[in-house]
Amino acid sequence: MKLKSSPFLLLISILTLITSCEQKPAVFKEYQTVFKVGDNPTWSKKVFNDSNWERRIDIIPKGEIFWSRTKIDMLKAPEEFRPYGLRIDAYGEYEIFWDGVLIGKNGNPGQEAELPPKGELWITYGIPVHLATEGKHVLALRLSNYYFPDHVGMHELEITNYEDLLTDLLIETSYMHVFAGAFLIISIYFLFLFLNNRKEYPTLIFSVCCFLIFGLVITVFSKDYIPIHYSVHVIRLQIINSFLLGITFLIPYYYSMQFPYPKRKLSLMLYAGLLIFFWLIGGHEFGFKTVSMVLSMLFFSFGIVGYGAYKNIRGARLVLVTLLLSVVMFLTFGFVISLYTGLGLVLLGMLYLLTLNIKAQRLAYENTLVQSARLRLELLKKNIQPHFLMNTLTSLIDWVEESPKKGVLFIEALAKEFDLFNKIEDKTLIPISQEIALCRNHLQIMEYRKEIDYVWQEEGIDLEQKIPPGILHTLLENGITHSLPLEDNSVRFTLSYESNNECKSYTLLTFARSAKQGKSVKEGTGLKYIKARLTESYHSEWDLISEPTNHGWKSVIRIFA
Amino acid sequence: MNDMNILIVEDEARIAGRLERMTQNILGDRLQSLTHIGTLDEAMEYLKKNPLDIVMLDLNLNGEDGFDLLKSVVSGSFHTIIVSAYQEKAIAAFEYGVLDFVPKPFNQERLEQALNRAIGKERSDINTVRFLAVKKRNRIQIIPIEHVLYIKGAGSYTELYLNDGSKELHDKSLEKLEQLLSSTFERIHKSFLVKMSEVRDIIVKSGSKYEAELKNGELIPIGRTKYKGLKAKWI
Repeated sequence: MKLKSSPFLLLISILTLITSCEQKPAVFKEYQTVFKVGDNPTWSKKVFNDSNWERRIDIIPKGEIFWSRTKIDMLKAPEEFRPYGLRIDAYGEYEIFWDGVLIGKNGNPGQEAELPPKGELWITYGIPVHLATEGKHVLALRLSNYYFPDHVGMHELEITNYEDLLTDLLIETSYMHVFAGAFLIISIYFLFLFLNNRKEYPTLIFSVCCFLIFGLVITVFSKDYIPIHYSVHVIRLQIINSFLLGITFLIPYYYSMQFPYPKRKLSLMLYAGLLIFFWLIGGHEFGFKTVSMVLSMLFFSFGIVGYGAYKNIRGARLVLVTLLLSVVMFLTFGFVISLYTGLGLVLLGMLYLLTLNIKAQRLAYENTLVQSARLRLELLKKNIQPHFLMNTLTSLIDWVEESPKKGVLFIEALAKEFDLFNKIEDKTLIPISQEIALCRNHLQIMEYRKEIDYVWQEEGIDLEQKIPPGILHTLLENGITHSLPLEDNSVRFTLSYESNNECKSYTLLTFARSAKQGKSVKEGTGLKYIKARLTESYHSEWDLISEPTNHGWKSVIRIFA
Repeated sequence: MNDMNILIVEDEARIAGRLERMTQNILGDRLQSLTHIGTLDEAMEYLKKNPLDIVMLDLNLNGEDGFDLLKSVVSGSFHTIIVSAYQEKAIAAFEYGVLDFVPKPFNQERLEQALNRAIGKERSDINTVRFLAVKKRNRIQIIPIEHVLYIKGAGSYTELYLNDGSKELHDKSLEKLEQLLSSTFERIHKSFLVKMSEVRDIIVKSGSKYEAELKNGELIPIGRTKYKGLKAKWI
């Protein structure tokens, strides 16, 4: 356990290392942004009394021009030949002024109704070097917000070295794309695995989860190279939240398949209802909605995996550790960073469970191979086990000595038995006629040995049917071993076949005196062989009754199909 | 040995017939009775009621393991010869004190060898007896041979003297046990069979009387006729 979780510990330490890398010191200080509806070119000036401006405007008449002013203290002038830039995230189309100088134009403010949407939600502009001196400055925006008049304000402002602004984004984006690509490959790989084995639904769910995470990451981190107009931003958020909805439902659903618990369906339906509720309410923000969904997922997953660990189901403890780690990350690194790494951890846990499944399947398969080989040996052994072989040979010698002609017939019967066994030894199902031939021949041999009249009768046999090799033969052997002849020195066997819609059944009746009256019959290797053969061919779709009757013994094999 | 009573326990009719025929050929007039029984229960009943000299036994009867029967028959007064297909059981059978193990398939020579061993009091050379089975009320007690110090003949049966000071009765005669135990036990007197590893010293008394002193201090008389041979072995 400790060893196995070490990759996770490694991952944690790497993440800690990355996130603890020192942030560059801020080069600016931002003051409260103030707003005013109306349009006046002097409002861009550095020196202007805006004390009567609003700190907050809830709604702006559709398409009307308004201004915002933000006082900024530059703490440090730029280094030589490394000008500053600013990155801004604001709803609307706008012109942007730095100390009264127009430094950028993002769309056509005031003309949104007439012109098609233009501009980007996240945009970066350079600040002229001679204006970026240490000291007080004013950032003024001349905006109009036609599409979301109730979303007024600047969401994000970053000022630093212009080149760094661009490359930092590039680095972040490329890391996240590598991350997403890994999930895409895993998703495709497990999809192929599923397509080759369509009963393995956990594989499919895992594949879909990976694909959703790929989609989520790509949607979130494509904003820096796909220009998004603020009017379509809601669609992006809806896509993101839909991916999250899928992920937050599928992860616990996957766990519930691996660690089944009582009232699974009901709880999953309730959980899905809760997620859809969160998905529908709370506007378009990434925040509340996302946090609610992710927290619900963690909470619910904990319940399921905790139950699995309590029931000591294979793998549950390790998965519980990955869940705990992702919670620790949420608490330590904040939501946005840990969302992806946390999900990555959770997916690793899921992958671990899948590999456990694959291993279990492989072992089961190997087991069936061993089992088949064992049954084959068991069948071959029937003729060389000493009780059969040595007793037969002793009787044979005796016949040869007394009556060579009979001895020859005996040898022929024996040869036929060996021949029949050779023909069936590597089969799992043989025609019933072959099995009957085996039985009849065996009785012939036993007649020479035991000097008892063995009589074989059949009723209603369907020669089209197949049966595992040696099972009637084994029942017959048991019948011979445990029976004493009747008054007329005979032991009679009757094999009858019946079939209906439900099942096919073979009944073997033995008419004889029992050799062990009143003694309990314990299950011998013979019955075990029959059961193993039936399981091999019919899984659990069969039953076997073997019981004494007043005329001897009765065995019934029923095969349900 | 004449007037022999022999029981054959075998569920294969052909093989039982073969055993009967060969036994008849080998023993001829020396045979008083020869009985064949095919089932275990009947055999057990027969053993209780009839005096026997030899029992020939198949270890696998009607699918039942004959080892319980084996423990029971070796406690009897008669010698047991196993006739079986399971050669791997031979060692265990000898450990429990069967006189011989005839593997199937067998011929008359091999059977004759086994019967001669019983009749001719021939000493068993493959002697590996590790247990003696003693009949108790309703059960058979197995006594490891290393617990036995010496055996005293008492008519048709014998007394086993054990190292814990206790004494058990065995149904076999001293002669039969001597045959089975010849590798470790020595007949030092017409009534005594002593485990040689337990003898500490041989004491010569006045009047040509000899005694064996055991490690626990007990003194066992040595027969005058046995002394010479014993002394030779001892030295």
